[in-house]
Amino acid sequence: MGFYILTYLCIAVFIGATGCLIYRQISLPLHVRWEIYPVQHETTAKVAYGGSYMEEVNWWNNPYKSSRFNELKYMVPEILFLRGLWKENRSLWRLTFPFHFGLYLMLATFALMLIHAILTLWGPAAFTTGNALSSFLDGLIAGAGWIGLVLGSIGGLALLTKRVGDREWRNYSSLSDYFNLGFILIFFLSAFTSAFLYDPWLDGAKTYTYGLLTGGQALNAYVPSRSIAGRITIASASLLMAYIPLTHMSHMFMKYFLYHQVKWDDVPNESGGLIEAAIKNKLALKPTWQAKHIRADGHKSWRDIASSTPKETK
Amino acid sequence: MNTALKPSDIAKPADSLCHIAAGDLLPLPAPYEDFNQITIPPLNPEKIKNIETSLDDTVAIGIPRPATKEEEDALVRQFLSGLKKLFEKENNWTFLQPFILSMEYCAKCQTCSDACPVYETSGRKEIYRPIFRAEVLRRIYRKYLKAGGKITSKFTGDIDLNWTTIARLAELSYRCTLCRRCASVCPIGVDNGLINHEIRKLFSQEMGIAPKEIHDKGTVQHLRVGSSTGMTPPAAKDSVEFIQEEMEEITGYKVAIPWDVEGADILLLHNAGEMLAWPENVGAFAIIFQAAGLSWTMSSEAAGYDAVNYGLWYDDVQFSRVAVRHADIARRLKVKKIVMGECGHAHKALTVIADRLLTGDLNIPRESAMVTLADIVLTGKIQLDTRKNNFPVTLHDPCNIVRAMGIVEPQRRILRKIAPGFREMTPHGVDNYCCGGGSGFAIMSGYNFAQWRNLVSSRKKFIQILNAFVGEPPEVPKYVCAPCSNCKGAIRDIIGYYHAEERSNIHYGGLVELIVNAMVGMKKSIIQFDGKPSWEP
Repeated sequence: MGFYILTYLCIAVFIGATGCLIYRQISLPLHVRWEIYPVQHETTAKVAYGGSYMEEVNWWNNPYKSSRFNELKYMVPEILFLRGLWKENRSLWRLTFPFHFGLYLMLATFALMLIHAILTLWGPAAFTTGNALSSFLDGLIAGAGWIGLVLGSIGGLALLTKRVGDREWRNYSSLSDYFNLGFILIFFLSAFTSAFLYDPWLDGAKTYTYGLLTGGQALNAYVPSRSIAGRITIASASLLMAYIPLTHMSHMFMKYFLYHQVKWDDVPNESGGLIEAAIKNKLALKPTWQAKHIRADGHKSWRDIASSTPKETK
Repeated sequence: MNTALKPSDIAKPADSLCHIAAGDLLPLPAPYEDFNQITIPPLNPEKIKNIETSLDDTVAIGIPRPATKEEEDALVRQFLSGLKKLFEKENNWTFLQPFILSMEYCAKCQTCSDACPVYETSGRKEIYRPIFRAEVLRRIYRKYLKAGGKITSKFTGDIDLNWTTIARLAELSYRCTLCRRCASVCPIGVDNGLINHEIRKLFSQEMGIAPKEIHDKGTVQHLRVGSSTGMTPPAAKDSVEFIQEEMEEITGYKVAIPWDVEGADILLLHNAGEMLAWPENVGAFAIIFQAAGLSWTMSSEAAGYDAVNYGLWYDDVQFSRVAVRHADIARRLKVKKIVMGECGHAHKALTVIADRLLTGDLNIPRESAMVTLADIVLTGKIQLDTRKNNFPVTLHDPCNIVRAMGIVEPQRRILRKIAPGFREMTPHGVDNYCCGGGSGFAIMSGYNFAQWRNLVSSRKKFIQILNAFVGEPPEVPKYVCAPCSNCKGAIRDIIGYYHAEERSNIHYGGLVELIVNAMVGMKKSIIQFDGKPSWEP
């Protein structure tokens, strides 16, 4: 039961920490535009060369358009296959793609195991006795799990080697960078060992996942936490889930904000619109910058300061 | 100290953290190999007696050395106070979210390094890596401003904060042209160029430290006198009068440059540097707009005849003051739109960045001259004989117009129509390389900074230009079209520095000059090669 409690706690930390991260981002004030082209939600013709709506005469007379389809066309391969890295840094892609794809497959495996558990609990009776869907799902879980474990282990080892062995990386790496990689690697290697020695069809992992939905009531006698490798796998997977949102590794999902709210944020400010209202609100803020030419005293607003001319040069 | 530097080394005492030796720089092709053994000339010891010079071979700011330890400590405290403000919405709402995201999510994968022309051409000097200065700032922030940072920094990356760190970081923020090529290749979307921008802001807005060319002689002079060139309104009018006369010689008819026409459709904003250094650019705009029958005006009000906004590079407050001034002039003139002349940073400043600053009747629509000109040229509003531009032409993409605004094709459509010898550089468009004069470098020349720029930051552009004309005989005149004043200044300087006019017959100019050069009915050619007209009447 101890492992289940640990996993529940870690899930709670993950949800709480991720929620905080997202809340922090959405509660940050409107910022000035800082997009970089190509902006992928532009029209197909413009995305091809990086053009923008500002290429049109009197562009402000045209309705602002944003193509979700074009965005997805870019983002899906970017998220799944790291296409940006493939284009810009092929040698690193060879190391990091297996690592990231391995992690994705682990997430996918967990999601499939949850589906399996849900169907076992609340699905048709035939599912529990082994129908076609059950067999198909078993195959998917084993396939995704094994491929993920192999790719993740190889990628993790490759990235750790790169970080230790490559001077360009080593000089910028801190203990936390090694720890983070080492942590993930412990998960991959323990899971690999556990699966290889005791659980080739990941039945134990499925049982554990089932137990997560039933408060620790397993379907059958096998419990993966009985082996050392299984215990390490459960502990490291749980702790990793809690740890990721506390580190820069949350770029896996925080990338959304980097792309959508900065790199591709090209929404123009229209008279009477929400953006204009937000700008007016921000112009009332009172800065305290100390350089003399700013002439901020904590009482003057951005609006006051922007409409003044400094007497002092410094 | 040189090759194996770590971010923490920025705090360590040394006469110089980085030196570029002869032969270190990215080699130039023939016939410029003789420049491959040339490096940055040493700083004049008399001139640098009392300023900080311990970063590398050049000086951009010239920060006075503190006289006492107490002064040093006070400056360190000021720095930390400024750094804290970068994370506060009251002080930095303008860039808070982009800044926080870039500070927190870098995976240190070094993909940005290979995209940086300064890092590459310098012979891959560690301090010029986009991540170097960003990582220094991240470590200072985590150690000195985050709770428990002194302990956790042993785990997350340590650094010492002292006057040396700060003085070097300030200088180092002026070794990046803010071209944001690094940000465009980052797989996560982190923008180390933005972090550099924020470092500059911290120094200017909290400590009053900035290069005099962009602050004292730049934004301050712009707001006080009317132009960063120092040109007053009467002087601007005089210059334009002279330009009109020059243009009349070219066209054979009267060219009128309208001033302060209330209710005109267009307020044309030029970089005032054009009036002094490239008056033919201002004149060419007038010829085209007049021939196309546009309703337009220029403003003779202080700041209204100078589109520049150097605040974009280092100070949000100065930026806001200039942008508000520009918009207010347009508002009072009751124009329908502002058209930005051939000035890249002014394009981005007023069109994109100020878009979330100007409200109500100050939010006058802004359009790029590339777009206005493409409409004129491609809809047949002027008569053109493209045979007149019968020489090789290549196009430089100003980062602020192309990568930062996505205005890529209009200028190309024009060139495809008017320049039969047009060819692209490699790479081009949104993948372009900076001219090396970005973020103020084109106008900074104190100490030996101009040599550093010509040898390091503009080197990649020079190689690109040479490659664009490979296969053309040296005696054939070639034209680099640079539709941006600062880019044009940087390209002028590299052509001069490397004797490219003498050796390869390379010339440069704007886009409007090429258009006028192809216009039917001109008496004289506006483009001259070695003092000779590019076409004979």
